Amino acid sequence: MLTNNNSNKMFFLFILFFSTLISISSNSWFGCWIGLEINLLSFIPLISNSKNLLSVETSLKYFLTQSLASINFLFMILIKFSLLKNFNMNNIISIMMNSSLLMKMGSAPFHFWFPNIVEGLSWMNNFMLMTWQKISPMILLSYYFNKNFLIFMIIMNLIIGSLGGLNQTSLRKLLAFSSINNLGWMIFSIMISENLWLFYFLIYSMMIFMMISLFFLMNMYFMNQLFINNMNFFIKLNLLINFLSLGGLPPFMGFMPKWIIINFLLINKFYFLTFIFMMTSLIIIYYYIRIIYSSFMFNYFKMKWVNLLMKNNMSLINLSSFISISSMILSTFIFM
Amino acid sequence: MLIYDIRFLFIYMFFVGNLIFVSKNKHLLVVLLSLEFIVLSIFFFFLVLLMFIDYDMYMLMVFLVFSVCEGSLGLSILVSMIRSHGNDYFQSFSML
Repeated sequence: MLTNNNSNKMFFLFILFFSTLISISSNSWFGCWIGLEINLLSFIPLISNSKNLLSVETSLKYFLTQSLASINFLFMILIKFSLLKNFNMNNIISIMMNSSLLMKMGSAPFHFWFPNIVEGLSWMNNFMLMTWQKISPMILLSYYFNKNFLIFMIIMNLIIGSLGGLNQTSLRKLLAFSSINNLGWMIFSIMISENLWLFYFLIYSMMIFMMISLFFLMNMYFMNQLFINNMNFFIKLNLLINFLSLGGLPPFMGFMPKWIIINFLLINKFYFLTFIFMMTSLIIIYYYIRIIYSSFMFNYFKMKWVNLLMKNNMSLINLSSFISISSMILSTFIFM
Repeated sequence: MLIYDIRFLFIYMFFVGNLIFVSKNKHLLVVLLSLEFIVLSIFFFFLVLLMFIDYDMYMLMVFLVFSVCEGSLGLSILVSMIRSHGNDYFQSFSML
């Protein structure tokens, strides 16, 4: 089992990608449920391939929550089928269906499994969990949602995502709460238009990819490891840029999708919701800046016994810095 | 108490299955059993619904295949847990 690790992973990864496509492009709700089931069936072997206690517990918790959510989803599909309520969107059955899809995604108030599981996975599995696993529940959410319920869930997502990350020292849990916060933005963008959601999702997954690849290359899982490294100045700068971009600060790439959403909010007079979006973004930027400020100013140690040779991978880091800094400005040149 | 509609039975079964799933149990196997109980209630519901569409039971078979796959995945995770922890008690979760 140790030798053909990569071919196992490729097989299950292929089925994972295919399951999302099945779920999105199906004609009926049963096809959607089948896609979600295949998603669960193919993700569990990806995350439970080592024999230590942590990965067993992680895969167990993931299995329990996801299987409960998809079984509840199927039951609500059957209730909808039997009551023949196919066209009216803002009713109680849509609340139940949306609840089970929100539990699949890890959105508040069903988010309690998410930081636990993110803490137990490696960085690449985390990347899969935070980006690809959100596609299929979100698109299914866009097919049949209850507007008032979802706006309430969005507010809870934003608040829990921002306040939950304040007391974390593990980088994975920090990114997990940031992911919950960004889920709030993404659910709102799905209610606006699916195109906008795709835009937000692509930019978010690109930002998360840059951060996770940086943490993966340097094998960093906790915040104190950021401070006792022998890091090159440019790597730290890249980290700063990525954190600020993820938080949504203006000259960087992460500001653009949030700008478009805020534009929509203000034009359509959602003033209270705009206030909550703004304030929770502020809290998130606060704890990112807290990390980077400490790393640059107070804890600028370069311990000689930690040797991070990053000479071969500098091109990836330079490219990602370039994309983060300049893509918002360059995009205005394209669309002018 | 007269039940005027068969759907009450399904909702009751589903609700009881969910209740046992979320309750504090000592063993993991009870949770997996409750999952299978919910699957059973959905199977029954599916059967009754599909009877009204001229006995078209093919979707029921597809559902059965997927539920069995999911149940066996749960059991394999149980086996993996017993291999590493030695039992399937919930109290042995202390890492996360």
